[in-house]
Amino acid sequence: MLTLYKPGTGWLHRMPAGPKLLLILAVVLAVSLLPARWTSVPVAACVAFLGYLVAGLGPGMMPLHELGRQLYALRWIIGITLVSQVIFIGFEPAVANTTRVIAAIVLAALLALSTRVTALLDAIERGLRPFERLGLDSQRVALLLTVTISTIPVLGRRAAEVRDAQRARGARNNPRTFIIPFLIVALKHADELGDALTARGVR
Amino acid sequence: MIESGIRLENVGVRLGDTDVLRDVCVELNARTIAVIGENGSGKSTFARLVGGLLPRTTGQLRVLGLDPARRAAELRRRIAVVFSNPDAQIIMPTVAEDIAFSLRSDKLRPAELQARVETAMERFGLTHLAQRASHDLSGGQKQLLALCGAFIRNPELVIADEPTAYLDARNARIVANHLLDGTDHRLVLVTHDLTLAARCDQAVLFADGGLAAIGKPAEVIERYEAVLRC
Repeated sequence: MLTLYKPGTGWLHRMPAGPKLLLILAVVLAVSLLPARWTSVPVAACVAFLGYLVAGLGPGMMPLHELGRQLYALRWIIGITLVSQVIFIGFEPAVANTTRVIAAIVLAALLALSTRVTALLDAIERGLRPFERLGLDSQRVALLLTVTISTIPVLGRRAAEVRDAQRARGARNNPRTFIIPFLIVALKHADELGDALTARGVR
Repeated sequence: MIESGIRLENVGVRLGDTDVLRDVCVELNARTIAVIGENGSGKSTFARLVGGLLPRTTGQLRVLGLDPARRAAELRRRIAVVFSNPDAQIIMPTVAEDIAFSLRSDKLRPAELQARVETAMERFGLTHLAQRASHDLSGGQKQLLALCGAFIRNPELVIADEPTAYLDARNARIVANHLLDGTDHRLVLVTHDLTLAARCDQAVLFADGGLAAIGKPAEVIERYEAVLRC
């Protein structure tokens, strides 16, 4: 999740991060706004399929392999979105909505696949700079995004450690006994991260 | 007045209702200084204080001639802090990006930034890991990454708080060599490893939040071991 970026030399890789972000945002928005009808299903699927084909992610079948990998990673989201909507709103809107959501996610993944986090953050920082007149600290927003992204795998590992420690002491998986120790290690990590950021010259 | 060392005059630190550091008076001018003592003796508080991460409650403190409370930003440009847990020090997703993060505030040109990062990675043997996910590295590699991120800023003073605590013998030796060798930086090394402390030029022993001994490492270690035998 954290390191989706894959080195490449295609046009999407070479495109500056700012315009690329806007382009992908526009395509994702267009797919998201399709109506919840059967006609939207092939349109959303084709846009996602074509997006991977023309993005220049690599030679031969590599783009389709990457699309397959993304879809496999989303299998649970596909299942949950589809089943829950079929139950409540019917088959047609459920399939159309699920296709739109999944197409939007895999298209958004093109940004992460072709852009280094550093370049993306620089672009976000530059893009937000005009709002500094309104009191927004663009550097801080970019840093906040970076720290949020980098904290996800660490907290995932800490959660696994807490679960292992509980199992080692014979405790069953229980949300009540998990939440408090996990909250403590998460807060401790936040403290350490704060110190590390200060030590690395971040205000 | 010596501008390159660390000077504490009656420094105390109070956290909540507890005095974690009491009335410390010391002037440290050696290039490499070992800080030893039992858990809870005040070693890490001393390191955090000198690193500008913790404010003092009483007394006067000068690090490289600067008061950390008043000139924190300038001090942070001149010192680096390395912690025992490398996970908390990694900010960016890949090795190369994380090292570059340390120079973010310098606003360097991309080519210059890349050259600095490549040189630093070469020095710490991380070149082959440049595109690897930072959080997927081994403990030793993560600590080397943390060191690389600290040293790329060419700090005058490095404060390392138990940097080898989570490492195996081989990685501990590599990390220690990077910290202790070289002559272009000063070092404050908080450690439980007495063989590392013995390699420093000067040692300081903390006990119960106060300074218990200062001097040549061999003498201070001998005194610490005498306390441990009691």
